[in-house]
Amino acid sequence: MPEIFINGQPVQAQANQTVMQAALANGFFIPYFCWHPQLSIAGNCRICTVQVEGRSWVEIACNMPVTEGLHVLTDSELVREHRKATMQFITLNHPVDCGICDKAGECTLQDYHFAYNGSPSVSREPKVRATKYHDLSARIMLDNERCILCSRCVRFTREISKSNALGIKNRGDVSLVRAAEDAPLDADPYSDNVIDICPVGALLSKPFLHKARVWYLQPTPSVCPGCERGCTVNIWHRKAEWRLRALDPQQNTSIARVTPLENPAVNGPWICNKGRDLAQVFERPRADHAMQKGKPVDLPVAIAAARTLIDAAKHAVALVSSWGSNEELAAFKEALAGRFTTFVKRDHEPLAGERLHDDLLIRPDKNPNTASARALFGESSAGEPAVPADTDLVLVWGEGCNFGRLPAKAKIIFLNAYLQPENGHADVFIPVSIQTERAGHYTNFAGVVSGFERCFAKKPTVADAQNLFAALAVEATVAP
Amino acid sequence: MPGKQLLMTFPVTATSHTLADYVARDGYATLRRALTTMKPEDVTREVTASGLLGHGGAAFPAGRKWGVVHLNDHQPHYLCANADEGEPGTFKDRWILEHAPHLLLESMLLASYALQVRNAFVYIRGEFDLPYRRLAAAVEEAYAAGHFGERIMGTEFACDVVIYRGAGSYVCGEASGLLSSIEGKRGYPRNRPPRLTVQGLFKRPTVVNNVETLANITGIIAHGADAYKKVGTAKCPGTQLVSISGHIAKPGVYEVEYGYPMARFLHEDCGGMLPGMKLKCLVPGGISTKVLTAAEVEPLTFDHQSFAAAGSSLGSGGMIAVAEGTCMVRLLQVMLRFYHHESCGQCTPCREGMGWMHRIIDRIVAGEGRPEDIDSLYRISRLQDGMTICGMGDAAGYATIGILNKYRGEFEHWIRDKRSLLAGNLEGAVHA
Amino acid sequence: MKHLIPEFEKLKARFPAGFESSLVLPCVRRIQEDRGFVADADIDGLVEYLGVPRIQIEEVLSYYTQFRRAAIGRWHLQACRNVTCSMRSAERLIDHLSQRLGVTPGQTTPDGVFTLSTAECLGSCGTAPVLMVNDTYHENMSIEKLDRLLDELKGS
Repeated sequence: MPEIFINGQPVQAQANQTVMQAALANGFFIPYFCWHPQLSIAGNCRICTVQVEGRSWVEIACNMPVTEGLHVLTDSELVREHRKATMQFITLNHPVDCGICDKAGECTLQDYHFAYNGSPSVSREPKVRATKYHDLSARIMLDNERCILCSRCVRFTREISKSNALGIKNRGDVSLVRAAEDAPLDADPYSDNVIDICPVGALLSKPFLHKARVWYLQPTPSVCPGCERGCTVNIWHRKAEWRLRALDPQQNTSIARVTPLENPAVNGPWICNKGRDLAQVFERPRADHAMQKGKPVDLPVAIAAARTLIDAAKHAVALVSSWGSNEELAAFKEALAGRFTTFVKRDHEPLAGERLHDDLLIRPDKNPNTASARALFGESSAGEPAVPADTDLVLVWGEGCNFGRLPAKAKIIFLNAYLQPENGHADVFIPVSIQTERAGHYTNFAGVVSGFERCFAKKPTVADAQNLFAALAVEATVAP
Repeated sequence: MPGKQLLMTFPVTATSHTLADYVARDGYATLRRALTTMKPEDVTREVTASGLLGHGGAAFPAGRKWGVVHLNDHQPHYLCANADEGEPGTFKDRWILEHAPHLLLESMLLASYALQVRNAFVYIRGEFDLPYRRLAAAVEEAYAAGHFGERIMGTEFACDVVIYRGAGSYVCGEASGLLSSIEGKRGYPRNRPPRLTVQGLFKRPTVVNNVETLANITGIIAHGADAYKKVGTAKCPGTQLVSISGHIAKPGVYEVEYGYPMARFLHEDCGGMLPGMKLKCLVPGGISTKVLTAAEVEPLTFDHQSFAAAGSSLGSGGMIAVAEGTCMVRLLQVMLRFYHHESCGQCTPCREGMGWMHRIIDRIVAGEGRPEDIDSLYRISRLQDGMTICGMGDAAGYATIGILNKYRGEFEHWIRDKRSLLAGNLEGAVHA
Repeated sequence: MKHLIPEFEKLKARFPAGFESSLVLPCVRRIQEDRGFVADADIDGLVEYLGVPRIQIEEVLSYYTQFRRAAIGRWHLQACRNVTCSMRSAERLIDHLSQRLGVTPGQTTPDGVFTLSTAECLGSCGTAPVLMVNDTYHENMSIEKLDRLLDELKGS
């Protein structure tokens, strides 16, 4: 445990740390563009300079090993001069077009410019022009004028996602980040992480492009339901105080974007592209009216009808949802498990062409809470549960059940959130809330529990499964 | 002859580069003696004791570089001869490659023996044609004679050599950029630490030595460190190949003993300036060293201490003699265009700074200069110094500051009058 | 490039095991000697042969000045214009070349015979000015020698 001194303060460093790591771990900030805790050291941006006391020059902290008794200064006059100079070099050919840049408001370059340069341009030369809009992939655009060639994105595709999709072409001040010509970036299911790690506005999400200024948005912590990894994410949506009243109020309850919520226990700082596209899952047309045999009824009527069916059943089977939260699954178990033979259902199967699993994050089971459901209701065979032929009532909770395979004479109670043809075929259909409309927890394949919070209010005509089970149980036991 | 000669010891003929001629000059006898009578560490000890300096430009003691490599550490070691001679004004390694390729190969074998290297490389710049063909032919001759491959000279020692051709990149002459290139990648230089002698080619301990540095090894092992130290000065043992060009009567490659008087070298050995021309200044060691005026350079002796005291460096030994009447603004423009063209673009100060300086000087030459441009060139040079991954930021700064310090008036004139004091002439002026 | 694989195999034998990545530059150079430039199919073939990521080859092709992905003229004239060559009349020589050929540096004559380029130091300052014609250095050039050379090349 070498002891080093940062700005005169003693710091206990780890033996293999760099000055950058030791400083950040002990509350000293050193600015950086190219350095990233999960990537190899590139040492190319040169903003992280520090001065070893007694030396008349500066060195980069990201590549400086700690040694016993090392004295470094992170804010000496020489360091400040070089930081300012580095910012001037970096902005020399950067367009500083923050006004039309999606990154504004969460841009490292913007922050550092205020903190370390803050002066008008010292150059009168015309800026080097480069591609302003380059299609890096179907999902990502690249503004080469904003790019500072830190190579984070390149290193990500080589070291983390291992697609080797990106590289730097040409040389000197006309160097360009480019995807390989056989376009493997489109095949990289982790590609969008390069947007997050880009310290400037060079790499931007096409679906999010010019959709919102980030300061109008707020992140709500959530869990990606795309597979059993259960990566923690931030779901970004419009802040209440910036609610739109006239212009497209739909945007107030829409997911603007999804980004990773750093979590060393589950996903580190990354998520896959499926997690970015949760709007495609959650914003499908919703079922918001209860029905009996396809005819709209009020929610209490449907609940009463369901109770009656449960009461009358002799051999009742329940297919519980692997998208249910821990709280919902526990409520089902407490309220209704005694009345049903219970199977765990896989609500979602892998989509055509979807990566099944890999060594980074993606797991084969495409449901978020199978682990909890199995812990409560036991292992069920892989694939569709075999519902016994003498079953006279099936409670189907969630998606992924082929009604055609249920015993023909069995009555069906269907709890579903989305507008689907099966809804009308159920004897009783009850619309339920989705993850973004409630709080809860999922337990991932490795037993790690992560929580999600509510982003939007549910409609009053939609039930919360957790309360619904209690209601079904109360009526079932109290009624004569 | 500018002093004693250690490398240019034989008359160049149509066959002097061949194995037969080299063997007739006792070639490969030193290797045989070393393999049979010396231990690897003895070879390194002799090289260290000789005080041999690196001849690529930085003059780092070769023995100290070798000393970092741990023997018997159960991992491959690599040796690379740096023949990527690209510093403008430098063409001295070419002489060795064209005329003494076997001297280089024997020296590389000795170095490989000392450093426990199984695979050695020669990285040669891609534009070199004759030097490559001569070296490639020498390698084939040496293989045919059993000097490479398994059981060299009947001993356990085995070594292979590959000639690796560059493809047009100045930065690959920097040792770590060179290794990136041998790895089959862009020639991006690497940050230190780690040193290349700890983690070099494919992360294995690697010694990169300049061709001329290596070429001296055979002589040192043949005659001993003491004999080597008798040549040159106490602090600068041996000789250095100088390639001199420009407005000089007899341009070419000369082997100069350290301590030799510069005035005599320039005006007698090199035949003085071209007819009717007078020396204005000398670029002493490739364009990345600070220029010295005639008055500054003529009293010097040819050694590192003397040139350092004068505020410059011998660098790679690439001297360019510049005649009176030459426009230093245009000269610096040519230099800055070169640095801009060759910046690899990896790190910020060089990628942005080189283009910035180039655009400023282009603007001055176009008659659109501003008084503050001179300060900008100074400031950019100073802020690049020591701030780049390789030495290129420093190099461009030395070239710029060297010329600005001594010829500021020519810049002020062009900025003020919107034209050159010397008609933009680069070819020197003939005086009656 | 498939017909070159036997040659590549010989080359590979001199390298240590596991140095496939190192073969990128020599293979690209050989392909270019063979075809005159590096075609997309060559890159595909090298990716398959060497097992390196395609992006590595694309980076290399765009980084090094000697590599090219399109055909050029039969004679590639590369005139050095760095410090010593410029001091020994290279700029006038390049102007003369441009005028005689009717192209500026970077261009190929319409008949496809000559491509004119400028180069930054070919390491031949002692015999400046130097002109590289394909792989061959022509040293101590002058306008008279240049005119003779152009006539020879045109006639050949």
